[in-house]
Amino acid sequence: MGVSERYSRGRQFVVEQPLALVVGLVVIWMAWFLVEGLVTGRLQVNNVLGYLWDGLLRGLIIGLAGIGLSMTYSILNFANFSHGDYITSGAFAGMAVSYLVAGFGEADIGSLLLVGAGGSVFGGALGVGIATSPIGIIAGMVVAAIATIALSLVIDRFVYKPIRDESGIALLITSVGVAFALRYLIVFVFGSRVRGTTAAGSQPQLRLVAVDGYLTINAHDVTLLVVAVGLMLGVHFLLQRTKLGKAMRAMSDNEDLARITGIPTEQVVRSTWIVGGGLTGVAGYMFVLWKGTVGFNDGWLLLLLIFAAVILGGIGSIYGAIAGGIVIGLTASMSVIWIPSEFGRAAAFLVMILILLFKPQGLFSGRTTA
Amino acid sequence: MSLLDVQGLDAGYGDLQILTDVDLHVDEEEYVTIVGPNGAGKSTMMKSVFGLTTHMDGTVTFAGEDITAAQPEDIIHKGMGYVPQSDNVFAGLSVQENLEMGAYILDDVPQDALQDVYNRFPILEERNDQKAGTMSGGQQQMLAMGRALMLDPDLLLLDEPSAGLAPDLVDEMFDKIDEINESGTAILMVEQNAKEALRRCDRGYVLANGENRFVDSGTTLLNDEEVRREFLGG
Repeated sequence: MGVSERYSRGRQFVVEQPLALVVGLVVIWMAWFLVEGLVTGRLQVNNVLGYLWDGLLRGLIIGLAGIGLSMTYSILNFANFSHGDYITSGAFAGMAVSYLVAGFGEADIGSLLLVGAGGSVFGGALGVGIATSPIGIIAGMVVAAIATIALSLVIDRFVYKPIRDESGIALLITSVGVAFALRYLIVFVFGSRVRGTTAAGSQPQLRLVAVDGYLTINAHDVTLLVVAVGLMLGVHFLLQRTKLGKAMRAMSDNEDLARITGIPTEQVVRSTWIVGGGLTGVAGYMFVLWKGTVGFNDGWLLLLLIFAAVILGGIGSIYGAIAGGIVIGLTASMSVIWIPSEFGRAAAFLVMILILLFKPQGLFSGRTTA
Repeated sequence: MSLLDVQGLDAGYGDLQILTDVDLHVDEEEYVTIVGPNGAGKSTMMKSVFGLTTHMDGTVTFAGEDITAAQPEDIIHKGMGYVPQSDNVFAGLSVQENLEMGAYILDDVPQDALQDVYNRFPILEERNDQKAGTMSGGQQQMLAMGRALMLDPDLLLLDEPSAGLAPDLVDEMFDKIDEINESGTAILMVEQNAKEALRRCDRGYVLANGENRFVDSGTTLLNDEEVRREFLGG
């Protein structure tokens, strides 16, 4: 290959793929910045590993919460904007039970069930945490799932089901209304104050030696990892191996054919809300357990990242939701290496846009639910 | 008594009436074809039998039961299977999963029925792990038929089974349908390949503008001067 030929090829690439070129240059700069930083000691290896670990866990939460959103999208064909407030509902319902179990006898039941509304009791003082009150955490997780399932079934029955045959836009706008209604119902009951929930300092932690420091892994990190990965494997098993899961995939493929094949579609819709609602509730509970605070806006703020993850993964695919969640989580956490931390969310959306520019249908495009 | 008996059926979609006063019957183990020009209401007829249209007047009786107002999920329980013309497989499911869905209403997948389908369509057994959406049109058509056969129906509705098939596959498809009929399943089929369909069936209906025009044995219709001129292209 001659010099002129090589030159013209390079020129062609620059002209036809300017975006790819820019992205390539930015990636090279980022890699250089990272390596240079580590070599000169401007960045510490243990910090970078910490961002990675934090991003992975954040990604697992986003992915777990995204599965429910993706499932209802692929089977009911609508983007549920109230999903974020289902997350918050699950978080509060679960925490109420964890407070009750951890603080039973120490404070009055009303304050405990209201998750210490008005500063009446504090989760940290009650010893809410996986090591200090394991039964409270397990009970909280179960109740978070059950409460969110009940909530999504009730809302579906009285709000979404009657308008299911309307356009997607009507459903979407309705779901925004449901989102606000739920959020301010939560404020009404539990108050608007963001409060600490766990006795984080009393949980055991693991300090791993990481070159120039330590990577700290605490008990709630491990709880989140185990629960999220376990549930994701469970959903995979459900969809691939069980009759109900196969029917869900069949219905997301072709609803009319599902009906004439004799699949009870209404029952499948209900099962979808049950599975999706349960996962969403647990995701909300794990989120507030892991970060150690709970507030009425938690789910709504997370929802934007969840949408980014689900769209990035290929909306409708649960594997896409998981992969997208991890990409978004890692981006949001690791971006602080290069840019100020306030821009972490912006970086996550930028990555989403870039991936969609190169792969418009998302990472797992064309794979509905499966 | 006929297995399927349609009397004076008016049907369509919403307010739009397509079929007018159509009578049709299929006896047990009979092979009946509906032919006619495009837009004659052939597919609407099939959908109406399977409870997928708006019925305005008339009755549909199957195996002695009135199913005029029945839903598809009830009709499938009574021993009728339906293979739509297009989008008739679950593209994201494997071949075997598609067949399992065919027997969804049973508690367990009937292994003998599954084996029967595999014996009838060996290609499906060879490719049982393949995603249905990645198979050729002919193979998808076989899969769609296999799915409908999982419940061993008394009557199988086939909407244009040869549509979109390569010419050398069309004959094979008709042979398969003959075999299904010979093993005791009555067939009600809509076909645009009218001559071949009439040659093979027991009885044929010529439908035009949503009305019955001719009813007779396949060979009689094939030889009828008027049917040939108007509907079979001479």
